[in-house]
Amino acid sequence: MANSPTPGLATDHTYDAIVIGSGISGGWAAKELCEAGLRTLVLERGRDVKHLEDYPTALKHPWELPHRGRLTQDVVSENPIAKKCYAFDEATEHFFVKDKEHPYVQEKPFDWIRGYQVGGKSLIWARQTQRWSRFEFEGAVRDGIADWPIGYDDLAPWYSHVEKFAGISGNYDKLEELPDGEFLPAWEMNDVEKHVAGKIRGAFPGRQPIQGRCAHLTVPRPEHFAQGRNQCQARNLCYRGCPFGAYFSSNSSTLPAAASTGKLTVRPHSVVESVLHDEKTGKAKGVRIVDAQTKQTTEYFARVIFVNAACLNTNLILLNSKSARFPAGLGNDHGLLGRYLAFHNYRGSLYGAVEGFTDSYYSGRRPTQLMMPNFRNRLKQEMDFQRGYMVFFGASRSGWTQGLGANGVGASFKEKITQPGPWGVSMMMQGETVPRYENHVRLSTERKDPWDIPQLVTSVGHTDNDEKMIKDFLAVGEEMLAAAGVKRIGKTDDKRNPGLDIHEMGGVRMGRDPKTSLLNSWNQLHACPNVFVTDGASMASTGVQNPSLTFMALAARAAHHAVGEMKKGNL
Amino acid sequence: MNRRDAIRHATLAAGATLLGLHLPVRSWAALAAPAGWSSDDEKFFDLVGDTIIPTTKESPGAGAVGIGRFMLTMATECYPTTAAETLRRGLREIEEASRAKFSRDFGALLVPERERLLLDYEQQKGATNAFRLMKELTLRGYFTSEIGATQALRYLPVPGGYVGSLPLKKGERSWAL
Repeated sequence: MANSPTPGLATDHTYDAIVIGSGISGGWAAKELCEAGLRTLVLERGRDVKHLEDYPTALKHPWELPHRGRLTQDVVSENPIAKKCYAFDEATEHFFVKDKEHPYVQEKPFDWIRGYQVGGKSLIWARQTQRWSRFEFEGAVRDGIADWPIGYDDLAPWYSHVEKFAGISGNYDKLEELPDGEFLPAWEMNDVEKHVAGKIRGAFPGRQPIQGRCAHLTVPRPEHFAQGRNQCQARNLCYRGCPFGAYFSSNSSTLPAAASTGKLTVRPHSVVESVLHDEKTGKAKGVRIVDAQTKQTTEYFARVIFVNAACLNTNLILLNSKSARFPAGLGNDHGLLGRYLAFHNYRGSLYGAVEGFTDSYYSGRRPTQLMMPNFRNRLKQEMDFQRGYMVFFGASRSGWTQGLGANGVGASFKEKITQPGPWGVSMMMQGETVPRYENHVRLSTERKDPWDIPQLVTSVGHTDNDEKMIKDFLAVGEEMLAAAGVKRIGKTDDKRNPGLDIHEMGGVRMGRDPKTSLLNSWNQLHACPNVFVTDGASMASTGVQNPSLTFMALAARAAHHAVGEMKKGNL
Repeated sequence: MNRRDAIRHATLAAGATLLGLHLPVRSWAALAAPAGWSSDDEKFFDLVGDTIIPTTKESPGAGAVGIGRFMLTMATECYPTTAAETLRRGLREIEEASRAKFSRDFGALLVPERERLLLDYEQQKGATNAFRLMKELTLRGYFTSEIGATQALRYLPVPGGYVGSLPLKKGERSWAL
């Protein structure tokens, strides 16, 4: 799938389109551009990762991992940031950037979790795929925190487009807060989840727990088999790469589709230094890269450039794309590039015990949980905080870990802890944070990275709004669990840093007004329209949904627009 | 009682002497011994682990999966540096208690004596951390081993799907993962 540059192209270095980044949004841009017939170069800063071939731990049994999955102290002490990520372990660490490999400056603490490889973080994402609802777009505009130039209706057909290909499981729940999509059959709830969800619905009209939606092939369709992908086996070892191709990743899905057109070239080890601006045409003409291995600088040229380097690196590249016309970075006439960075608030969580249901169990490891859409500030401002949060929860029975906190030794102890233990419920929030001017990233004027590119400075923090939202969620969570008869309810605020949500968004935000935004309604830079940004950097606000499906839809939509504009001679 | 049961019962009674019989090919014993620990130390932790999770008629115990080496390797390589010291303290305190109570080394005790000693030690003020760590390492090592996962628990590497509601029959084991 990842072709080496062909000799002829290597000579003139000219393509129809360049896509920077091969993760979720870059993969989609590449697929759509290639399928439209454009010779497309995908630049990936990391190494190649071939689907199936390069998943060395995918089929390992627990006892085949030297430390049974646990990180060694050496890895932990060398990676104070990456180690915080729940998915970073002995079986997956090869897909995560190690802290010392790519330094950055934390003016305020920010846990930047990165995956530098072909496929990017699409290999190690959490795969939850809700559409945004109209409340996400309209609410942010109503509250004056974003100037969204598009709404749900603009994206709906593109959600359908990407859902059909990626394969999204879910129920048709008919909720305006969580619009239905093109679904494969949903996962099942277990008996306790049905019980808790039913009690919440009964006690709190308007609160609507549903089965989660995720990018897993529960029942593949012909278009998925055609990609070489198969049914999800409920192993839940996804972060190692899936040997069944059952969850959506660039590696399993969009990049092979792009390669099958014969139009795709993927160049790994290509760290993009900047996008090159042409004074004469007023457009971008290409990009300059540093080869990560040889440190040599090379330039590539194309008529359109998609910047899909993932939120913060997209900001970094544009900030570093300085020219006489754009001394403060490409498209940055107003100093707003890198500003209005936002993220998702995951700090609050609850847990508790459910009595009974002792003769009920389940089998398999489900890759999703229950979801409850936001019900705060939906139609008007009601709370002492802005925006809202969605809720995830799930129930399970403890296994052998019940023995960790229990007294006892010997045969009876072994007998007890090898049988399913009591049921527990856990619940967490995914809160919208309000994009603020002060929350920003910028280039360091002193420090450079190993490729002689300025390091990124992160200056992103929580606000009082987040604190109030956490307080509300913990109270709401407690009242819902109590209504469901959950006992011994515990509540925590883990005080995690921004970034660990791995949902950083903004900095190159879309907007109707070029004076207050960077991108137009088609994700083109207002001031340099042959440059498109369709990853998290483009988001004007964060909503409460997991964002990746929206990045996919934005990328596919923008790619089609680019092709149309090229045909019309506008680009 | 068939031959296999006979061996298991004998193991249950005699403890350490028969543990060697059960060492599987891919056990922790195949790894190099962690530096700073003697083979006697390793045997001690094999015995502690095997007392916590003994051989029963359904499945071998923790001694059969080389749990001593697992505990020492994990404590040395994966836990904070204080963990090894905690294990050393636990070893010393358990041996002292064994000599005080039974006038013998821990390794020379009968199974009920070892159980009694560890149960007392678990309750003892100040000993909690050391025993908690031994227990955590024992459970983690045993239930992620091939024997623990596939014989003491039910291991489904490829479940094929998620079934949300299954009646749990009496005596059925939990899933290993």
